[in-house]
Amino acid sequence: MIETVRFWAIIVLIVFGLFFTFVSAVGVLRLPDVYARAHTASQTDTLGAGLALAAVALALGWQNATAYTVLLLFFVFITNPTAAHAIARSAAESGIVPWENDTDEEGESR
Amino acid sequence: MTAELINEVFLAAAALFVVLAIMMFYRAVAGPTTQDRLLAVNVLGTNTVVILALLAAGLDEPWFLDIALIYALLNFLMAIAISKFTVERGGVL
Amino acid sequence: MYNDGHLEGDAVAAERILVPLSETVTVRQTVGYAVRAGLERADSLECHLVVALPSDREMPEGQTEVDAARSLLSKAENWVSEDVGDSSVTVETAVLGMDEYLFGPRDFASTFASYGEEHDIDHVVLDPEYQPGASAGMLHPLERELESAGLTYDEAPVERPARHERLIGDGTQRFDRLFAMFWISYGFYLVLGDPTYWFDLVTGAAVAGIVSVSLAHITFTFPLGRVQSPLRTLRFAIYVPYLIWEIVKANLAISIVILRPSMPIDPKMTRVNARVRSGLPLLALANSITLTPGTLTVRADDQRLIVHSLIASARDDLFDGSLERAVRFVFHGRESSAIPSPRERGDAEVIGGDEL
Repeated sequence: MIETVRFWAIIVLIVFGLFFTFVSAVGVLRLPDVYARAHTASQTDTLGAGLALAAVALALGWQNATAYTVLLLFFVFITNPTAAHAIARSAAESGIVPWENDTDEEGESR
Repeated sequence: MTAELINEVFLAAAALFVVLAIMMFYRAVAGPTTQDRLLAVNVLGTNTVVILALLAAGLDEPWFLDIALIYALLNFLMAIAISKFTVERGGVL
Repeated sequence: MYNDGHLEGDAVAAERILVPLSETVTVRQTVGYAVRAGLERADSLECHLVVALPSDREMPEGQTEVDAARSLLSKAENWVSEDVGDSSVTVETAVLGMDEYLFGPRDFASTFASYGEEHDIDHVVLDPEYQPGASAGMLHPLERELESAGLTYDEAPVERPARHERLIGDGTQRFDRLFAMFWISYGFYLVLGDPTYWFDLVTGAAVAGIVSVSLAHITFTFPLGRVQSPLRTLRFAIYVPYLIWEIVKANLAISIVILRPSMPIDPKMTRVNARVRSGLPLLALANSITLTPGTLTVRADDQRLIVHSLIASARDDLFDGSLERAVRFVFHGRESSAIPSPRERGDAEVIGGDEL
């Protein structure tokens, strides 16, 4: 019983992790400028990575390696936004002007 | 039985993450700005960490997690160092 | 040290220089150099000492900053009169940035430039450690901006004392910091190692000792409270699930936007003045904002955050200030979390991309 619950929990976590990473990949490819890409590249991806790592931690059960995974999770959640901020800041300071939606019409964005 | 199935699931997920990483690789090649490339490489690094963790679970090799941890640290340092380098024109840190 | 080539050429009867000051270890030497070098070039010198204030005057700490600026200026005035003896030096002092937000090196440079224009100054003497506000070293970007604003500048050649430990507080406070740092690093070591193996216990203690002695003073830049700090950690533990919930919610919203074939995004730069202390609270707020998809902190120099927002709903959430309240709750407790939202206090605005 408890094994089945754990199994499905792992499956759900992995599927959502893959979904958010997929969104992040699509965002990195589709969005118009570096600031917009930083949104998905570093945050949607952080959630995707977090869910996948949570799945790993759940699968490993109660052992020393799980502590590693939790540490890794914590670390990814702290460092990713910091790195994204550093990159966006460096983009701002090298004078990259953010892309803006001139038409103001939904549907026409590129 | 379920244990083996879970391992299969982890390996399949790792494979899918590799596919997504290849998609992101396009941005690292295409640019156009240095920051775009840096961002793409940073995301690729996060993905690599996840792939390593999934492999650790799927192949039952917990020591992969050591490598994942070090990789995450290096990935962060790389992003910070390069973004600082591009701004201050060589005057790093 | 950097020196502009055409400085020596135009020695005029009365030299006018601008010296921006901030509370640094080298400010005394900078004033001394500015006066000395100015008198070498001309017979009489008009020395404008200014302090540029970056922060918000409405904040409670705003008035203390103005007072600190004035006392620094009067100290500097005394230094000049100590240095010159009987030479003809006139000193003017001013506090700049009282009625505007100074944000980033460009704002500082343009403030100095407009002050210089008013008083017919075209030369600036910079303190190599110059650091207005709480932000870390902005000398290089400031020099670039000064150059593009058409001002010549000059870095004062100073002797820097080695960076000693910042001696904040007395013995107990330093002990608290060492103590906290030791256990944090020891815990980290034992998580990675094996807590039951004696070798790891011994080497871990040694490593944690070295780390705490060498790094405690840069890890905690403010004094720890024996009651407050554990309490903050506890409140942070309450904050984390809330943050994760916000992240998931915002991620779903962003995913829907990105996966729609038409991709209805509306990116805008916004400026939000956050009412949290700089240092760890500001870091927590800026990181939380970045972690919530749809908003990305581009700059967090002082209390002014420049945030890039991707969609309108994320922007509204940001202006409603729920994250800011949560961070205030973590660091200052429940009663201080009840403040008006940035939108209500007029601290939030949409800015154009060229205003970076």
